[in-house]
Amino acid sequence: MDQHPDCSTQAAMNLAELLIRVGNDRDLVWELIVIFKKKSPLLMSQLKESVALGDTNRVETICHVLTGMLSCIAATRAAALAGQLEQMGREGRTLGLSDALTPFEQEVAKLLPELDGFTLEAKL
Amino acid sequence: MKILIADDDEMSRRLLERTLEHEGYGVISVENGRVALEQLSLPDGPRMALLDWMMPELDGPGVCQEIRRQHDRPYVHLVLLTSRVSKQDVVAGLEAGADDYLTKPWDPAELTARLRVGQRILQLEDRLVEARETMRFKASHDPLTSLFNRGVILDLLARELSRTRREKGCTVVMLGDLDNFKSVNDSYGHAVGDEVLREIARRLLDSVRSYDFVGRYGGEEFLVVLNNCDSAQAIARAEEVRMGIANHQVQTMRGPLHITMSLGVLASRNWDRRVVEEILIETDLALYKAKADGRNCVRLAEPPVLCAVPRADSVTS
Repeated sequence: MDQHPDCSTQAAMNLAELLIRVGNDRDLVWELIVIFKKKSPLLMSQLKESVALGDTNRVETICHVLTGMLSCIAATRAAALAGQLEQMGREGRTLGLSDALTPFEQEVAKLLPELDGFTLEAKL
Repeated sequence: MKILIADDDEMSRRLLERTLEHEGYGVISVENGRVALEQLSLPDGPRMALLDWMMPELDGPGVCQEIRRQHDRPYVHLVLLTSRVSKQDVVAGLEAGADDYLTKPWDPAELTARLRVGQRILQLEDRLVEARETMRFKASHDPLTSLFNRGVILDLLARELSRTRREKGCTVVMLGDLDNFKSVNDSYGHAVGDEVLREIARRLLDSVRSYDFVGRYGGEEFLVVLNNCDSAQAIARAEEVRMGIANHQVQTMRGPLHITMSLGVLASRNWDRRVVEEILIETDLALYKAKADGRNCVRLAEPPVLCAVPRADSVTS
């Protein structure tokens, strides 16, 4: 199984890096987060289902999309974990796929409140 | 400058759009490779493109391959965007026809710097194409009149000769010579003579169809090749050319001049095995006859030689 760092105390989204990348355009960050929150639930459930079925092709495709989306909002660790799953899918590896999914789901679960926090702050 | 973004990921697309719009690009955004190819294949399509590697219907390398097969359009600078970082992938992307390669997540400063490199390459390509076209024009056209030069008009005549023979069609050849042109140069100077030649060239072009050929054969001699022109119409067409010159004075820096042209005409449905040189000799003989008959007239180079129009005055001013 691929290793992942213990980052339980670190933020899931590197907001500072993201703001630099978008030229401090908070409206754009808000827009990206809205798109992510709209699209990610379906992708996560499709991923879970594909892992359960051992459909590595689908795992690769879904994780490729998720990697890109997570990279866009500087969710570096989640993107790396999605990238690991994508690689396993590409290699057709079913062994360890479920184990690799768990930390990814945990990281995304940690990310969502941070995204909510940003959007709430943006509204105020 | 227009730039195409092709990415099936809405977030990535939005991020790219905003970054590139901020840099002053006109952004066209699409979400699959097939539509990207359609956009890039348009006559006035974008000359730069950022292509995601994995896309529905046609992937980024696939778009690159298709674009590189199109040799008849201006160069397009193609940049692949992907999270794939292995050397094997980089090589595959470049071999597919990409000019550059950026890994996700991309850095905005690096992205815009690389696109500026692309712009410089495109500008260089444009200058090369422009220089090539200028050279091509100079090599094939007369610098004073911008008509085809002697070598090219003779090549075109030879080509028409072959086509006429092959298709059993008809081509008309006219050899025109300005009457008493030496006196224009002697009386008014060569600058006025050049003005006259330029104006005559313009009128010759105006008097023929877009697919006919007009060339400067010598000093004040012009060769006109009329494709698919019925021999019965040869005299009438030559008369139009003659009158287009004789009926309107040429405006020059030294005042209006009355210029006329004599023309020898050869028309045939079947030139058998006659070569260009023989055809030119026959046409030249007809021109000589037109000169001998008093100038400003048309003579046909087939027996019986016809006089279409009575002579008129030559150059007067």
